[in-house]
Order: sequence, then structure tokens, then C-alpha cells
Amino acid sequence: MLEVNRGGFAALGLALMTAFAGQTARAEEPVKIGFAADLTGACAALSEDEMNAVKIAVDELNAKGGILGRKVELVVRDSQTKPDEGAKVARELIVDQKVDVLTGVCSSAVMLAESAVSAEFKIPFYATIGSTQRANIELYQPYFWQTQANATMEAYAAAEYVAKKSEWKTIATMGSDYEWGHTSVAAFSERLKKLRPDVTIIEPIFPKVGETAMAPYITTALNTKPDAVFAALFGGSLGSLIKQGQGFGFFQRTNLVTLMTVDTLQSMGSAMPASNVYGIARAPFFALEQTPEVKAFVEKYRAAYKEYPTDWSINGYDGLMFYAAAAEHAKSVAPDAIIKAISEISYDGLRGKGLKVRAFDGQMNAPSYVGKAAKVADYDFPILTEIEKFDGAALMMPEDAIAEARKAAKK
Amino acid sequence: MVMIQFVNGLMEGMTLFLIASGLTLIFGVSRIINFAHGSLYMLGAFLTYELVPLIAPGTLLGFFASVIIGAAVVSLIGVVFEVTALRRIYHADGLMQLIVTIALVLIIRDVVRMVWGPNSITVPMPDALMGAIVVGENYFPMFPIVVFAAGLVIVLAMIWVIYFTRAGILLRAGTDDRGMAALLGINERLIFTSVFAAGAFLAGLAGGLSAPYGEVNHLLDTTVIVSAFIVCVIGGLGNLYGALAGALVVGVTKAMGVMYFPRLSMVLIFLIMAAVLIGRSLGRQGGSAR
Repeated sequence: MLEVNRGGFAALGLALMTAFAGQTARAEEPVKIGFAADLTGACAALSEDEMNAVKIAVDELNAKGGILGRKVELVVRDSQTKPDEGAKVARELIVDQKVDVLTGVCSSAVMLAESAVSAEFKIPFYATIGSTQRANIELYQPYFWQTQANATMEAYAAAEYVAKKSEWKTIATMGSDYEWGHTSVAAFSERLKKLRPDVTIIEPIFPKVGETAMAPYITTALNTKPDAVFAALFGGSLGSLIKQGQGFGFFQRTNLVTLMTVDTLQSMGSAMPASNVYGIARAPFFALEQTPEVKAFVEKYRAAYKEYPTDWSINGYDGLMFYAAAAEHAKSVAPDAIIKAISEISYDGLRGKGLKVRAFDGQMNAPSYVGKAAKVADYDFPILTEIEKFDGAALMMPEDAIAEARKAAKK
Repeated sequence: MVMIQFVNGLMEGMTLFLIASGLTLIFGVSRIINFAHGSLYMLGAFLTYELVPLIAPGTLLGFFASVIIGAAVVSLIGVVFEVTALRRIYHADGLMQLIVTIALVLIIRDVVRMVWGPNSITVPMPDALMGAIVVGENYFPMFPIVVFAAGLVIVLAMIWVIYFTRAGILLRAGTDDRGMAALLGINERLIFTSVFAAGAFLAGLAGGLSAPYGEVNHLLDTTVIVSAFIVCVIGGLGNLYGALAGALVVGVTKAMGVMYFPRLSMVLIFLIMAAVLIGRSLGRQGGSAR
């Protein structure tokens, strides 16, 4: 009898405490950012750069009194570049840690897994690295947004750039043999055909994911005597293509148009060919408009981490600052208020003024940068020169096209 | 075009052989499948990265010296691992051996990440090997040709050691009949340790030699071990000639596949692997290969 009573009291006490906590503690409780990032595995390097910048953003927000007067707290979890692990830590962050927003993800597959958890619990989730447009199209859910150009937009930017090279008549294409490689090549070819009907686009080739023996692909591509090769590759495959291509005279015989973020430029270092490499980037610090904010951020980042911020850093910082701006606008971090606010505000970030998220698919009008890789005096690694910045708005898929794609995917 | 593609395949095949040779050597003698082989390869690449700027940077001699010193250090690490951990589990079941070598994989990966960070690094190519031999419109890049030559030297050296020296006789004796070799007073422990040292050396050598030709980062280990296994399975684990044949077949098949069946080039390799496995189970290769 006594036992039962004690149990009953304890339960009652617990219930009272939670109810009480729910009512009073709001003002002092921190705004919790659930940072479920791929800190180990294939995405480790990118996620670390992102996290470094997000830490700076958190410190800056807290120095100014936090979000809505509440302290900002970063809760970090490692999603290991594995979708199931990503879903698991996302759940843990939402259920146990009661985070207000979820972010950090890098891999597209993990991103889709975490987005599904976000939809399930109706907790806002935004991505600043992972960029699959499936999250905007068939797997779109209303609690999601992404603050960088998605894969299609990036490929469109490349096509716009290539189209202006009137001397290029034959373009070969290749991509990593998975979703991103295939959509990038398809989007690039589609836009280029529209802009330049006179250009011949060669049938694409698809090296397997993580392929490092690129010689056979290089030979096959060069055999078509292209004026340029568009390659949707990254990491090991891209590095191998550039290093192994030199032995085939690749950079004397043709041009390469590929993804070239700051970390790639740095890791290529002296192995970068002197010319004929064109890079697509998300947010290269040297190409940003050198506003006081950008300068201050780069200085702060270099002081803290002894290296230049990469595209992933800049986007991670912009992503959290955009969330903070949305929360201030909504005067709340309640999920529905945030989701309403993200499409109402226009945010001035490191990548320029007027960044907006489209309510229809959660896509930000994020810019893409395309330029020519070259060694310059100021840096000990090659950078992109003759850069052209492409406004995201012109590259986003129109709403009706997305609606159609969603319908097609449902069938 | 066919010609270049064939040469490309041979070049890749030799790199694969360099990786697989150490794995197959260790298995042949000690029956241990060393999952950490890819990790030792990765260490070889990172050590070469450290050594290249110190020893006559840019020169051919400096590069090869760096690779060999790096491989020697990897070999030492291998010996420490063999003496402290592997030696205790030669008679344990396969699962135990799997766990111990995978533990080493995890340790090395984390150490590499701590020391060199998660970003890829670039090992500079020696200046003399940057170019290509150009025949008409055909480019034959220098670097893989030199790696191929180095691979040939290693193959010949291995054959000489195994078949024409006393150490080789002891090694073959240990492989053929461990018990009998021990009865005749052959120090089994010493053989196992030396073989592991040699296998680790080969892994380090392969890592160092291939380093300038691709990206080097802390995830290299798994990439490498998978291709090494495919080669070993096709050639017969423990069979050195088999590994060489397997590596060249995989390399050439892939290169030709990219040209003729771009969508199927990987499938082709697995088809060969499956065919070999089925063929061998029918007894044509005589069961376990030595």
C-alpha cells in the first residue's frame, strides 16, 4: 500500500514539475541548435569546417544577447555520414535534448533521413552543405529549407558560364555514378542545350563513387576531342582526375569545368594545372564582396583555426545567422512561427544582400560562383579568378516545374 | 585508343598488385586476413608526404628514398603490431583475427585523422615524372610507367627471395607444413614476424608510390582494402602469381570496360570474380592456393 502511494506521489510530482517547467522556464532556457553533422566518414572535413564557423556564429549571437534574449546553445552529435545514424541522432536531439532546430548535415542521403525525422516531429531542419534537390521536390516537407544552391542550380550556373565561351563547340560530360553525379550532368546538359543549340554534348560517362583510377575515363573523354569536359566529381575522384590528367596532356588539350571549393583548391596546391581549370564554388571567401562583415569573419576564423574559411564555413555561418534573423522576425522559435518567418524575411549575409527562402520548396536564392583556377601572389594555394557570381533566383527551378516533377515522382 | 586504354589497365593493375601482394603474402604464411593492410598502405602515403619535402624535394631519387624510408617505418609498425597482438591469436578462430585486425584499422584511422586532419593532402610528384611520352596523338603518362617498372622490380625481387634464397625455403616450408617445419627446428615465430614485416613493407611501399597520383586522406584505408581483396580472391588468397594475374586482369578489364561498356565496367570485374570462385569450387585450381 505504502509502495503504491509513494509511486503515485512520485508520478504526480514529476507531472507537476514538468508542467511547471514548461510554463516558467521559457525565458531563461537557451535556444538549442541541434547540430547533427557528419563529423566522421566521407564528409568529415566539410562538416568540421562548417562546425568551426557555426561556433563563431553562436559566440557572436551570444555576445549580442542571444536569440530573442535567450542564450544560444549548440548541441553537437556525429551522424557519421550514415543515414540511419543521422536519423537516430536527429531523434535523440529532438526527443531528449528538445532542440529548437536541427542542422549540420553534409551528405545528401543523411540529409534526406534527417529531413524525414524533422517532418515526423515538426521541428525545423535546414541544410547548409547537403544540396540534393530531392529535398525540394519529391521529398519536400514543410519544416525544411536549404541555404545553398542545390545540385541543379549549381549545374545550371556551370552551363551559363560554359555557354558564354563561344569558342567551345564540343563538351564532354562525366559524373560520379550516383544521384548527384547523374542529376548534375543532366541539368548541365539540359541548360546548355537551351542556351547553345550549336554545341555538341557527348554522351556522359559515370565513374563509380570514390573512383581514384581515372586514367581510363580521361582517355575515353579525350578521345572525343572535346573543347571542355564538365565533371560532376568531388574529393578523391576529382583530385585523381586533375593529377592523372596532367600525364595525358589533359590541360593542354581541353578545359575542365568542375566543382572547386576552397578546400579542394587548398588540397590541390601545387598540383593544380597552370590553366584550363574552371571551378564552380558555393562561397569562396576571396570572391565575396569584401564588406566589413566578411572581412571580420575571415579574420576571426583565421585567428581561431589558423586557416581560411572554406565554402562550407561561410554557408554554415550564414545558415545559422539566417535562422536567428527568422526567429527575431517571428519573435518566437516555435516551429510554425519559424517556418512562416523564413519566407518573409530578406537576409543580408556573407554571400551578399537579399537572401530569401522560397516557401514553395524551401530553397534559398543562394548564389553560385564560377571562375578560372589560377595561382596568384596573395595566397599559397590557387584561387578562382575571373569569377562570375550567378544569382540564385535565375537558377531556381520554376514552381510549376517543381509541381510537375513532384507529380511525376508520385506515379 | 585501344592501345592507351590497355596500357592504362596494365598500370592500374600493377598498382593493385602492389597493394595485394603484401596481403596475399601474409595470408599465405600465417593464414591471417589482415584487414589493416589498407591502413598500412595509407600510413605509407602519409609518411611519404612528410618525407618528400625533407629529402631532395622534386627529384626522382628523393621521391624513391622517401617512399622506401616511409615503407620501412610502416614495416616497423607492422612488427610491433605482430609481436604485441597478432602473435597471440594465430591459433584463434577467424572471427577473433578479424576483430583484432579491424581494431588496428580503427586505431590507425583515428591517429591519422588526429595528426593530419580530415582534409585531403597532395603529395607532390617528382618533376621528372610530370610529363608524358607522346607518340603521335597518344599520350603515355610518365608517372604510372615508372610505378609499373618499380612494380616489376618488386615482383622479381619477391620471386628471387621466395624461390632462390634460404629465407624463401624456410618461408615455403612454413607455408607447406607448419608442424613439420617446427619439428625440424625452424623458428616459426621468426618466420611469421618477418613475413608480416615484409607484408607491411609492401603495403607502405604501395601507399607511398601511389600517393602523388591521387588524393590522400584518412579514408584511403577502406578504398584500398576492398580492391586488394577482389584481386586476391580472383588470384587465390596466398598465391603470389595469382595476385599478379588477378591484378592485371582487373586493371585491364576495367579500362576496356570503360571504353566499350561504360555502364558495366564494375560489373564485369565482379563477374570475373564470381566465375573464378565457381570454377575453383569445382576443383580446377586445387582448393586453397599457396
